[in-house]
Formats: sequence, structure tokens, C-alpha cells
Amino acid sequence: MTWNRPLLIGLLVALLALSWWRLQPDDETIHRSQLLMGTVVEIMAAGMPSGKLETAVDAAFAEIARLDKLLSRYQLDSDVSHLSQSDNGRQVTAETAEVLALGLDVALRSGGAFDLTLGRLNALWTIDGETPSIPHHDAIAAALIGTGPTALTLDSRQVTKQTTQLQIDLGGIAKGYAVDRAIAVLKQQGVTSAAINAGGDMYLLGQRPERPWRIGIQHPRQKGAVLETVQVSDQAVVTSGDYERFFEQDGIRYHHIFDPQSGQPARGCQSVTIITDSVALGDALATAVFVLGPKAGLQLLGQYPRAEGLIVAADGTLHTSPGWERYRAAP
Amino acid sequence: MKTPWQIMTVGDWLVVLLLLAASLTGLAWVATAPQGTRVVVTSGEQVLFTAPVDSPHSLSFDGPLGPTRLVIDDQGVRITDSPCSRKTCISMGPARHSGDLLACVPNRILVRIDSPADPKAPYDLLSR
Repeated sequence: MTWNRPLLIGLLVALLALSWWRLQPDDETIHRSQLLMGTVVEIMAAGMPSGKLETAVDAAFAEIARLDKLLSRYQLDSDVSHLSQSDNGRQVTAETAEVLALGLDVALRSGGAFDLTLGRLNALWTIDGETPSIPHHDAIAAALIGTGPTALTLDSRQVTKQTTQLQIDLGGIAKGYAVDRAIAVLKQQGVTSAAINAGGDMYLLGQRPERPWRIGIQHPRQKGAVLETVQVSDQAVVTSGDYERFFEQDGIRYHHIFDPQSGQPARGCQSVTIITDSVALGDALATAVFVLGPKAGLQLLGQYPRAEGLIVAADGTLHTSPGWERYRAAP
Repeated sequence: MKTPWQIMTVGDWLVVLLLLAASLTGLAWVATAPQGTRVVVTSGEQVLFTAPVDSPHSLSFDGPLGPTRLVIDDQGVRITDSPCSRKTCISMGPARHSGDLLACVPNRILVRIDSPADPKAPYDLLSR
């Protein structure tokens, strides 16, 4: 064999190129989590150089933190706290008005099963507190006075309270709204593939490479087990269940989703999963359907052509809306 | 007739050695780089710990309320002790699939199972 300088150099350059090619990550995906809005917020984003993804995800987290300051009833300086403290109402920010408008619409359509005015009831139960206990029925009755879908009216950004003591709680919708806004931020930054999950309120933007997102739905009574798996793209998936925040007394489970009629934890379902276009709407519908139970819950979903639901009834039976099947992943 | 070794100049040798070293370094890095499913423990923006999910560990991390204890074993990773009042993080059981998450919100400790995208994984995220 004769000395062939270009061939040898070429082979070594090819070897170098191969090693550098192997060093490049196959999938430019970043996955970060933060504790925000009283829950874990996870953001997974892909399909761009990691520097741009990091910038986009930072901006999305910042948007959620900003909205938490506006919409939380636990922050004394929030828009919602100022509204609750007001005598007859006040002007709110555009974001708060948008959440209230959607929430009031679902409240009316669900006959009050979804309710933004349960601030006093939620505070009474202290489900998340150190020593939760069952409130006296007189206290529950008092906390429900003046609540309901007509207790609050909205005219543009002007909110009117029917009673001074009305306390607003956007806990059933604010996280979903924040996820929607964070997704909008990611889109503005050019992200085309991402998932945001805020304690069960989830939006799946675009696709995983070459396939839709696969979302496992937690079995409400078997820890760690998946009830079923759905495939979605550019959709919200929201699950509400009685198994995440609860306490038990005398063998009875007391959880955080209250029936606005009785002031007691709703008893019709173990869990409800909604797939729709917006996380805020999915969030509100999941709560409303949970309170209504399977039969009336499916009737409510019938009013929303772009929403589908999977309901695990209190007896463990499964109920689905007519279009649910198209999201089911093959086993 | 001269052999290839006799023809090569000092400059040739330098180029060959540099390219060979760069290639071998790259391949060695690829061979030893961490792969597979990992446990990632964070608090706020800070990564406190990361290790393969199949490497047994018993760990403790200090949060604002005190130490949160974790065990990594053949069941996955689970929180075994926590200073929070409700112990919800302990009752979450073990995490073992990519995307699974354990959280102690009061003590601000997050435990996540991370892995490269696996097309055969049963799901990407868990809705609960």
C-alpha cells in the first residue's frame, strides 16, 4: 500500500465528524419544574436549540408567576383578594375579567355546579390545612349565603358583588388560565412542541416528534396505575379527582371539590377527565361535571361540542362522551 | 521505495495525532456519558441530586421545614419521611416511569424521573 496522505487525513476527519455527530443530543428537549400556584408546574419543550428553549420556558414560568399574583386568593395584594375585600365590587384587570367571564358562563350553564363564589366555604373546610375537620352544618349554611352564579356580575372589567361578604375563589379555573397564557408565551417565542402540566391541568402543544402526545390518566383508586391512555395534539387535558387532596374521618373521604348546593364534598364521581381546546375551560368543566355526576355531567358536556369527557363514577363505572373514543390510544 | 512512515513530515504527524486524539476523546465521551432513566431532585431552581434510577440510594434533602428523605431501590424512587403535616408526598408511592413526579409542596422538594425520549414508553405525562 502506498502512502496516501489525503486518504488518511480524510479518514481521520470522518472519524472526528462521527464522534461529534454522536455527541449531539438526539432530542433537544428540556424539562423543568417549579412550585407555583400551590402546585407543581412542569414544562417540557422541544424542537429548538436549547438556549432558545430555556429563554421561552423562563418566560412561560414568569407568566404563570405573574398571573398567580393576580388571581390567587392566598395573596393579600392580588386582584381577587381586593375584589373579595371590596364592599360591592370593583374594576379588575383584563386577565381577571377574562377568567371571571369564562367562569361565570360555565357557572350559569352548569346550573351553579361550578361556582366562583365559594371562598368562604373553601376557607371553612381547610382541606389543605394541618388539622382538617368537618365544619358544623350551621357554619356551612352561613358560608353559602349569597353565593351562586348570579352573586357576581361582570360588565367589561367592572365586577359587582351582590353581597359584601362574598369571597371569590378562582381555584377551579385560575391554574388552567395560567397554563393557557403560558402556552401563548411559548408560541410567541416560536416553540412548536411543548407540554405544560400544572397539577393535573395540562396543555399539549404540537406533537412529540412524529406522533401525538400520549397522556396516561391516573386510576382514581389504584395508586400508580393508569386507567387509560389518550393521544392528543394542541389540546388541553384536565383531570379532577377526589384522591389528591382529601382527609378521612370515620371511614368517609372528605375531598376538595364541593357541591355548592350542600357545601359538602361532591359524591357523584371519583374522577373526571376533560379534553378540550383551552385548559381554563377544561378546568371549569372538570369541576362542574364532577359535582353534577355522570348523567348530568355528560348532558353539560353536550353543550360544548369541542369538549369530551371520561368520568369515573362513585361506584367505579366508566362513562364517556360520544367523541372520547377518538382520543383513546391503542393498548 | 520509501515507506509511508518515511514520507510523512513532522507536520503530517502533528495533524494525524491531533485528529486521532480529538476523535478518541469524542468517542470515549459518548461511551461514558450518562444514559437512561434518571432521578432528578430539585428545590426551586436548584438541582440537588441526580442519579440513575437503578442505582440504590438512601438520601436526605433539607427544605424549609426540615429533611425530606428518599429511597431509590428496585421499586423506583419514593419519599419515606417528610416534615410536612399532611405527608401527601409519602402517600404518592413510588415514581418509576419517565415523567413521573413526586412533590412535597410545603417543603419545596421535587423529585422527577427523567429520561431521553423513549418511543416505547407507555405515556409521556400522567394526568392526575
